[in-house]
Amino acid sequence: MSYCVNCGVELGAGAGSCPLCHTPVQNPHAVPDNDAPPFFPTRHEGVEPVSRRMAGLLLSSMLASVALCCGILNLLFYRELWWSFFPGGAAVMLWVWFAMPLLFRRLSAWCRLTLDTLAIGVYVLLIALAVHGLDWYLRLAVPMLLCAVCVCPTVIWVVRYRRLSILSSAILVLLTAGFLAAAVELFCDLYLRGVWRPGWSLIVLISCVGLCIPLIVIRRVPSLREEARRRFHV
Amino acid sequence: MATVSTPWYRMDNASVMYSAIQREDYSAIYRFSAFMDREVDPAALQRAVDRAMPRFPGFAVRIRRGFFWHYFEPNPSPGPFVREDSADFCRPVRFGEDNGWLVRFLHYGRRISLEVFHAVADGAGALVFFRALLAEYLRQLGEDIPAGCAVDLDSPPSPGELEDAYLRHAGRVSRSFTQVKRAYQDLGTPEPFYTFNVTMGFVPIAQLKERASALGGTVTEYLSAVLIKLLLEKQRQERVHRQRPVALGIPVNLRPYFPTETLRNFIMTVQVSADPRLGDYSLPELVSLVRCQMRLYATPQNLRAVMTRGVKLQYNPLLQLIPSVLKNPIMLRSYRTSGVRPYTATFTNPGYFALPPEMSAHIEHMEVILGQAAVARPHISAIGYGGTMEITFSGTQQENDLEREFFRYLVREGMHVRVESTRG
Repeated sequence: MSYCVNCGVELGAGAGSCPLCHTPVQNPHAVPDNDAPPFFPTRHEGVEPVSRRMAGLLLSSMLASVALCCGILNLLFYRELWWSFFPGGAAVMLWVWFAMPLLFRRLSAWCRLTLDTLAIGVYVLLIALAVHGLDWYLRLAVPMLLCAVCVCPTVIWVVRYRRLSILSSAILVLLTAGFLAAAVELFCDLYLRGVWRPGWSLIVLISCVGLCIPLIVIRRVPSLREEARRRFHV
Repeated sequence: MATVSTPWYRMDNASVMYSAIQREDYSAIYRFSAFMDREVDPAALQRAVDRAMPRFPGFAVRIRRGFFWHYFEPNPSPGPFVREDSADFCRPVRFGEDNGWLVRFLHYGRRISLEVFHAVADGAGALVFFRALLAEYLRQLGEDIPAGCAVDLDSPPSPGELEDAYLRHAGRVSRSFTQVKRAYQDLGTPEPFYTFNVTMGFVPIAQLKERASALGGTVTEYLSAVLIKLLLEKQRQERVHRQRPVALGIPVNLRPYFPTETLRNFIMTVQVSADPRLGDYSLPELVSLVRCQMRLYATPQNLRAVMTRGVKLQYNPLLQLIPSVLKNPIMLRSYRTSGVRPYTATFTNPGYFALPPEMSAHIEHMEVILGQAAVARPHISAIGYGGTMEITFSGTQQENDLEREFFRYLVREGMHVRVESTRG
């Protein structure tokens, strides 16, 4: 029998190295018996991961058939309106949301979130095309969506991967909410009146900033931070 | 024409959770193995399985997906069949595969293994079944094993063995006794699916008992204290921004507290923890802390109150009306909050597996393995048999820091440790 010189544990008869620290066994009195059957089986049966691809393909085919059927029906009935764009766009959006993660599993969460938002953009575009509303789409929907595409994934990425504390995350989320409210009003005002007149969004923004100030103070002062943790059990 | 309806029965409180958190790549599974004195005869083992299964109807079941709840029904499929063991220990159970069987019988060299999906039974129940199976296997080999060594396979199954003991012993008052809501998470790098690492250490029970009693604790308390000490040290070395308490989940067998014959689940997890923000702990202090917490929380009153909470939730009329499609994701979420976050690791010790001399002469040692955790962190399990305590670290994480430090610690404490591992 051999013992690991590092760990002091007795090793199995066939062990060529310590399984705990990988130190090789060099014992001239007990050469590892390579012919001895291993203590544990080494044959892998190959446990198959679940076939998400098949589920994704099934979902894709279902959504495609819905879109196709609606398109054909639209060519036959109520041809004055492109109503098939509504279910067709919804099918595309649902495909991006649910089928794509099953088919392309290596997509990052950030990438998926961006594509999800863009899918909403495409859906709204199809509605705009169907009702001849390209003007509001370009001047109102596109800026809002672009704003959401830029801001939301960035905030999620910062919170998730920069491992921010709860307080820092709350400050960031509050400021983002205030900024988005201001942006929504800006785009609405520019579309409806052609000029930005901040109103309700200013109240939201100032409230968010007002809430952030005490959080920033708590974040900066260690004694306050500790007290808040104790009081709120975080 | 009258139709004969298939018998079925409800899941108990633990089964509901284990079947709800079941995924295609994760199942709550555990394994008991007996290392025999000679090569296993698969044909004799199959005959023993065929004899034992009808006596234990609670293990011969499959899970059906109901609209509101999953439920058990007897499995009429052929099997379960004895198979040669592979390196994929405790691989996930999939309800639609393997004829719906929730138990597996495996053999490799001199080792007989039983893998059980946790929704079917807890460790204590499975050990009763395993003992009867081993006795029958030895009889099939021509050994003279007296009838009193294990459950008589010719006797009819007792209805008490199938009872939902949680429901029977639930009281009126419900409480939650989890002290730490968010413990230090000893997460490692997950291995690719499906790679499962197992490291076993064999330690003389006499040495463990001697050291544990010198510190005023039992073997379980001593081993828990060592684990907590090493996890506290690991967290300190990681230099985390905010240190969190180290908490172990220790499943407690409820049978000694509440009389029941059941072979289904009847366990409850007790949390023992140490908070590093309060200062440093020596090993004697940790043994004392674990001992006090076990004594404080593992009382019949507390256990009944926690049990009642689970049962009330299960039988809540509003929750019962929610379809299982919606309920299961909620339960999965709640499992993360109440079953993963409050614990750093799980340590289970089903106790000493005592066998009569007629059987123990043919079994060299026993092994236990807890299947993968819901996240990539180690599960620790131990079982005593003969003069040896077998301690297993298992999991899907690449790192082996904890097991290395644990066995080195026992060696420094003056114990003889023999290690076997799949890590190579």
